[in-house]
Amino acid sequence: MTEKIKIFLDSDLLEKYLLGATSTEESLQVERYIAMHPEVRETYNELQENLEAFAKLHALKAPEGLKNNILYRIRQQKRSTSKFFKYAIAASFTALIFAGSSYFFYNQNKNLQEENTLVTNKIKDLEMDMQVQLEDIRNQYIVLNNPNTKRYSVNGNKKASELKAVAYVNPVKKLSYINVSNLPQLPEDKCFQMWAEVNGEMVNLGIIKDIDNKEKLWALPYADNAVGYITIEQQGGNATPTVQNIVANINY
Amino acid sequence: MSTLLEKHIVELLQERDEKAISLLYDNYANTLYGVAYKVVKDEDLAQDVVQESFVKIWKKSDSYDASKAKLFTWLFRITRNTAIDKLRSVNTKSDKEIQIDVSDVYNLGVNTTRPEFMDVKEHLDKIEPKYKIVLDALFFEGMTQQEASEELDIPLGTIKSRLKIGLRELRKIYGTSMVLTMIVSLIS
Repeated sequence: MTEKIKIFLDSDLLEKYLLGATSTEESLQVERYIAMHPEVRETYNELQENLEAFAKLHALKAPEGLKNNILYRIRQQKRSTSKFFKYAIAASFTALIFAGSSYFFYNQNKNLQEENTLVTNKIKDLEMDMQVQLEDIRNQYIVLNNPNTKRYSVNGNKKASELKAVAYVNPVKKLSYINVSNLPQLPEDKCFQMWAEVNGEMVNLGIIKDIDNKEKLWALPYADNAVGYITIEQQGGNATPTVQNIVANINY
Repeated sequence: MSTLLEKHIVELLQERDEKAISLLYDNYANTLYGVAYKVVKDEDLAQDVVQESFVKIWKKSDSYDASKAKLFTWLFRITRNTAIDKLRSVNTKSDKEIQIDVSDVYNLGVNTTRPEFMDVKEHLDKIEPKYKIVLDALFFEGMTQQEASEELDIPLGTIKSRLKIGLRELRKIYGTSMVLTMIVSLIS
C-alpha cells in the first residue's frame, strides 16, 4: 500500500462518502480513488457491507399502514406528473391554435387592406372617368345648343363617296366636334383615321372604330383655321397621315 | 438480501414500476425505519422520515448508479440525510424539542421489547458498548474518527482499534445472519 493511499484511508473521507456526507468535490475525489486503487475499492465495499449489517441490527418494526401511506403518496406523485403533462399538452395545444388563428387573422386583415386600397383606387379612377365624360357631355350639349355653333356637312371624296359626317364648331366657346354618320366598307387590313391640323401641326385623333355608333361625337382640338382630315390607313393606324389617302377634310 | 433481488428491484426502479417501492419497502423499511429512529429519536418523526425518503427514492430512482454504491448504501444515504434535515427543522422549534425527549424515553421501551426484534437486540448486545459507541458515531452520527475521538474523549488510536474490533464482531454476527437470510430467500 503506498503512502498516498494510506493517508487517504486515514483521512475518513471514505467514511464520509459512505454516509453521503461529502461535498461534490470530495465525492469526485473519493470516486477517483475507488476507481483507481483496488485497496480503496475493497475497503469501500467492506464498509458498505458493514454499514448494511450494522444498520440491520437496528431495524425496528415500521408502523402499520406506513407502506400504504407511501404507496398512496407515490401514486399521487405519478398522477400529478401525468396531470402536469396533460395540462402542459393542453396549454401548448391552445397556444398553437392561438398562434394559428392569429396568423390567419393577420393574413386576412392584410388581404382586406390590400383589397380596400384597390377598391378605393378603382373608385377614384371611375370618378375621374366620370368627370371627364361629364365634362365631355356638357361640352357637347353646349356646342349643339349654342346659337353661335356652326354646322358643317362633310362628304367623302371619290375614294370614299359614302362617307358622311357632320362637324360642329363654336368659335366663341372654342369647342369643335365631329359626328361620323356613315363610312364606306373597307378591306380587313385598312381603317379610317382622324387627324387635325392645328397651327401647322398634324395631331393624331385616333382610329374611327365604332362605325355602328352613329351618335358618337368626336372632340376635335380647337384652333383658328384648323383643318380636320380623315384618311385610310393600314389596320392599327399610322403615326403620320398618308396624304394621298385623304378621303375628307373639314375646315373650321 | 440476495443480489439477484437487488438487481430486480433496481430494474423495476429504472422502469419506474411501482412494484419496486413495494419490494423495497418489504425488504428495507424496518432497517431504514431503525436508521431514521436512531437519528431523530422519535417514532412519529421517524415515520415521516421513512415516508419522505421513499418518495425521494421514487423521484430520484433514475439517479441510482449501481457501479458507485450498493442499493442499501444509496437507500441509507437518502434516509439518513432526510432524517438529519428533519431533525434540524424540528430543532428550530424549541417547543417540539421537549416532546421529542419525552417520546424518546417512552418509544425506546416499546420498540425494543417487541418480540420480533428480540434477536436483533440480542445480536446488538453481543457487541460490547465501547465498540458500539464507536460504530454508532461512525455510521449514524456521521462523525469522522477524529471527531469521534474528540466527542467521546477517547484517543484517536483507541478509536481506530475499537472500530476495527467492532467491525470484526459485527462481521461475526452478520456472517451467521447472512447465511440465514440466504436460506430464507431460497425457501421463499
